[in-house]
Amino acid sequence: MAGDAIIAEELTYWYGELVAVDHVTFNVAEGEILGFLGPNGAGKTTAIKMLTGQLRPKAGKATLLGMDVARNVDKVQGDMGVCFEDTNLYEQMSAIENLRLFARLFGIGRFDADALLRRVGLGGREKDRVETYSKGMKQRLMVARSMVNRPRVLFLDEPTAGLDPTSAESIRNIILEERARGATVFLTTHDMMEADKLSDRVAFMDQGKIVALDTPHNLKQQYGKRALKAKISTESGELEDREITLDTPETPNAIQRLFAEENVITVHSEEATLEDIFIDITGRGLIE
Amino acid sequence: MSWQIVRALIAKDFKLYFRNRFIALITVLGLVAYIAIYFVMPQTVDETLELAVYAPVLPPILEQAGSQGLELVLMESEEQLKEAVVGGEYLAGVVVPPDFMDKLMSGEKGQLDVYFGADTPEELQDSITVLLEELAYLQTGQMLSVRVSPEVLGRDMVGIQIPMRDRLLPMLAVIILMMEMLGLASLISSEVVGRTVQALLITPMTIRGLFAAKLIMGVSLAFVQVMLFMAVTGGLSQQPLIIILALLLGAIMVTGIGFLVASGSKEMTTVIAWGMPAMIILSVPAFGVLAPGTVSDWVKAVPSYYLVDAVYQAANFNAGWSDIWDNLLILLGFDIFLVWLGITVLGRKFR
Repeated sequence: MAGDAIIAEELTYWYGELVAVDHVTFNVAEGEILGFLGPNGAGKTTAIKMLTGQLRPKAGKATLLGMDVARNVDKVQGDMGVCFEDTNLYEQMSAIENLRLFARLFGIGRFDADALLRRVGLGGREKDRVETYSKGMKQRLMVARSMVNRPRVLFLDEPTAGLDPTSAESIRNIILEERARGATVFLTTHDMMEADKLSDRVAFMDQGKIVALDTPHNLKQQYGKRALKAKISTESGELEDREITLDTPETPNAIQRLFAEENVITVHSEEATLEDIFIDITGRGLIE
Repeated sequence: MSWQIVRALIAKDFKLYFRNRFIALITVLGLVAYIAIYFVMPQTVDETLELAVYAPVLPPILEQAGSQGLELVLMESEEQLKEAVVGGEYLAGVVVPPDFMDKLMSGEKGQLDVYFGADTPEELQDSITVLLEELAYLQTGQMLSVRVSPEVLGRDMVGIQIPMRDRLLPMLAVIILMMEMLGLASLISSEVVGRTVQALLITPMTIRGLFAAKLIMGVSLAFVQVMLFMAVTGGLSQQPLIIILALLLGAIMVTGIGFLVASGSKEMTTVIAWGMPAMIILSVPAFGVLAPGTVSDWVKAVPSYYLVDAVYQAANFNAGWSDIWDNLLILLGFDIFLVWLGITVLGRKFR
């Protein structure tokens, strides 16, 4: 069984009076994708900064690949890659120069930048200055940069935010490829569908605390309400909606009555989304 | 701290520096302009015969001086006269005692005190002395009826007067160094604003490595340019080692100040807003060289004073290590303080 790549134990950080991360504890297994969800200001970025050694925890401990991050920042950072939410590339340099610079910083002697750029769909534009790239191209280069050192742990902060569907999908495929390679992925996103599709488990963060952490399936089982939605035709010929909540003692009778008494035109099941579950748990939405 | 990483950062910084068209352009044009300014300045000293005179009663011998090609400017006191001569406003000043005419009339020997500026040429000093004696002879009909007592105020520059272009040399050197300070500050602030530094800090690169790279890059840029300038203008013809060391310390000084300017800046406009006051303050000591007597002792609190003075003394008066070691030591002290302060303040912004 794989060990834990990331362990957060009572991780805490505050800015003056504001407690940004409040005694957060969780773990991420090697090769797992953890979706880290929460509204703006929930403490996600501060948590990532502590996990990646950019901030020293005020209390608690972050362990990455068995090493205390605060005590072994230099060693830990050699094994991880970070894709930031905001683009922070050297825009006056080309894509290939950006990647080669970071390869040198990671002490990689032989580095095939062209292959990595082709992998993220930037083949043919590798020698152009980054300032001439579109947002999607820059984002793909950001993802490529985070993979320069073939990291064992990959932190991706909103990697598909603001991208067109094609670019977003190509990045999602890269994330799955990285997981297949054995990398652990810590994924922050606002896109619930994306988190649902990619994550082995998701953590909901709200007001500095983790309020839920489980697989998307379990969370839906635990918090979500499944429903059957039907469209019926009335006697006057108008279409009306009917909804039957599933997984309750009354469900079988309700379904029986629906088909016996109504002229059912269409029927489909509906699952709770992660967004619904987050609202259910915290009483507010993810995007505020 | 890995030197491989530091080398990679330095190479990156040079690449970015010269890809910024504005900075690259002002760097090259600036250097050319400063060299041009040096060569445009007069190579010789302008010696207009203008005399300051303090005389409670102006004797006829001086009244006649105007017709002899001297321009007399009357002072209100002997102190004012001395200050004007020390300040370089006049090449010489003549103090006429109140009883001068009485002594001449009674057949006694009168005395005129003549003060020369430190850089009044020797030939001119002799000419003025002879002229005053001749005028006295015309007045009394006797030779040696007047004793002229010459005194040089300040450092005696007889025979070693400095052309304007060579006075300007330390000032231009300081300005070149300061311009590089702006370039470095702009480069760093763009890294902070663009958050590229955040990306660097999640690699095995340490913050010490980052500052080592910035320090080496900043010092190299400033030092190489100022050395080019000094080499082209012949500023290294005397005491080259002392001048090279002083300029190296000057390059370190401006790099430290560049860190401070960058810590308070967000883009080129704020770099200039913070950088210009720093440039003006650091340029003040150079004005003391251009116009002696125009700045007072407080200028010694400005770090660049020790750079300007060391370069000026070494380049123009062949001053040796024993004359300048204290300047270099104080400059080194300022360097250590400024670089430490710059790294401390800027380091907070990086985190």
